[in-house]
Amino acid sequence: MSTEMLGLLVNALGETSYMVGASAAVALLIGLPLGVILVATSRGHILEQPVLNRLLSGVVNATRSVPFIILMVAIIPFTRLIAGTSIGTSAAIVPLSIAAIPFLARLVETSLLEVDPGLIEAARAMGATPRQIIAKVLVPEALPGVILGVTITIISLIGYSAMAGAIGGGGLGDLAVRYGYQRFRVDIMAATVVILIAQVQIVQFCGDTLSRWLNKK
Amino acid sequence: MIHLADITKTYPSPSGPVEALRGVSLTVNRGEIFGIIGRSGAGKSTLLRCINMLERPTSGKVSVDGRELSSLPEQAVRQARKSIGMIFQHFNLLSSRSVYGNVALPLELAGKSRAEIRQAVEPLLELVGLTDQSNRYPSQLSGGQKQRVGIARALASQPQVLLCDEATSALDPETTKSILRLLRDINQKLKLTIVLITHEMHVIKEICERVAVMENGAIIEEGPVFEVFTNPRSAVTREFIRTVINHDLPEHFQDTVFSSTPVPGGSLLLRLSFLGRTAEEPVIAGLVRRYGIDVSILYGNIDHIQNLPFGTLIVELSGDAGRVESAMNALRDYKLGIEVIGYVDRNARAAG
Ligand SMILES: Nc1ncnc2c1ncn2[C@@H]1O[C@H](COP(=O)(O)OP(=O)(O)OP(=O)(O)O)[C@@H](O)[C@H]1O
Ligand SMILES: [Mg+2]
Repeated sequence: MSTEMLGLLVNALGETSYMVGASAAVALLIGLPLGVILVATSRGHILEQPVLNRLLSGVVNATRSVPFIILMVAIIPFTRLIAGTSIGTSAAIVPLSIAAIPFLARLVETSLLEVDPGLIEAARAMGATPRQIIAKVLVPEALPGVILGVTITIISLIGYSAMAGAIGGGGLGDLAVRYGYQRFRVDIMAATVVILIAQVQIVQFCGDTLSRWLNKK
Repeated sequence: MIHLADITKTYPSPSGPVEALRGVSLTVNRGEIFGIIGRSGAGKSTLLRCINMLERPTSGKVSVDGRELSSLPEQAVRQARKSIGMIFQHFNLLSSRSVYGNVALPLELAGKSRAEIRQAVEPLLELVGLTDQSNRYPSQLSGGQKQRVGIARALASQPQVLLCDEATSALDPETTKSILRLLRDINQKLKLTIVLITHEMHVIKEICERVAVMENGAIIEEGPVFEVFTNPRSAVTREFIRTVINHDLPEHFQDTVFSSTPVPGGSLLLRLSFLGRTAEEPVIAGLVRRYGIDVSILYGNIDHIQNLPFGTLIVELSGDAGRVESAMNALRDYKLGIEVIGYVDRNARAAG
């Protein structure tokens, strides 16, 4: 492997990791609370708010139904507003986060719904406030599932980040298209694919291990 | 201690409103173990959940320890719940927390410090006999051990009242016994008022002092356990009692037709029940002596209600109709439960 190629790969890997890491962090910061709110405000739950619930659920569904490549282009004005530009690795974080937030929120919602309602009942009987129920019961009990949800989100982000290359986002996907496809560099194409596969495997392995370690069921 | 006045609870449902409770009034005294028994869907859980306001009654008043919970706002109710412990059929333990962590939860919710929590949890684990299981997780425990954790957790906030929703229904008979024994112990040690609901009469028989029988969202019978056992007034209650005390007649009476009025030359069958050491033999010997009638014992059984011997006797009185009548009236003066099974034609019996 030439130093030129190694340099390209390392650089691209760094960009991908940056995009995925940053947008995963944003998704966690917003998607996790959003998932909690989706559950807590649902019918018969601790903070029942039917109107808010339907509204949030609608927004989540709408965002999730737009294919990423279209979402990316459609929100360019918003990206420019946030990042100051619509082109580049940092700018790509905006559409990646927007796509990942509702994705993670739904996965978190699913995990929280699996928590035995009896536990919420027991906590209420102890005089717990809704906030305490969320912090002490719902989230800790759903944590193994939430971790798996985060894992799936990160893996999806690795895939999306390749598409972000199309708007100059850089990263492994961009490298594969520009060198592997357009310049017929089969070696670079192969190396990128191997790295992408390895990346997904590592993320999945770490997520599974952490989730299993946390699961005391 | 607990006072329910005319509680109703109606749930909306697609097929019209469901009346889960239709005007229930009930008083539970301080320090007693009160049982509520009823068939599935009778409204037991709903009633129990009204006591700590997990379910707000549609109408009626709930007061616990002199405080009217049904008129308090949610925040004050939450505070009040801390003095009402609750345990559940399926234990409802947090799988992510160890035994210790589960018992500590109510104290964490109350904002206690780590040291205070440790000080409170350790004696509780000892009380329920789980000191050496402190670091295990619920998935590693047996059902009985899980319920012990549930009990320790319910006691952590030093409640005045303990509500038990079918606390032994998921346990085998041996474990059920040990959990009931534990409940009685804490009732005595901590002067705790316990309300338990069940669909199993033997649970009531084992530890309750008073019992209410529910059917269709209403209490149809209520009283001291002994009285309800010896003098059941409703068919539902009789059905429940039959599950723990054999009320069937001896086999050779199974096809007999009983008459509710005296038959000439016939005899009278009675079921007598007595609690404690009522000297049954002098009673029967006395009947024979004083009224000159024949008394034969057809069936006898001794059982226990709250550790007191409880006897059932089926006797047949025969002889002169007038004398049998006065003998029966004399029996009513004793502290006995008397149920008239009926009059039977002796010849018919002999033929049968
Ligand atoms: N949240 C609810 N919504 C609608 N109906 C309900 C609800 N909870 C209870 N009910 C109805 O109220 C009635 C009484 O229910 P409840 O759970 O109190 O009975 P139960 O005596 O505890 O029965 P079980 O022994 O099966 O637990 C039932 O007909 C039930 O279907
Ligand atoms: Mg029930």
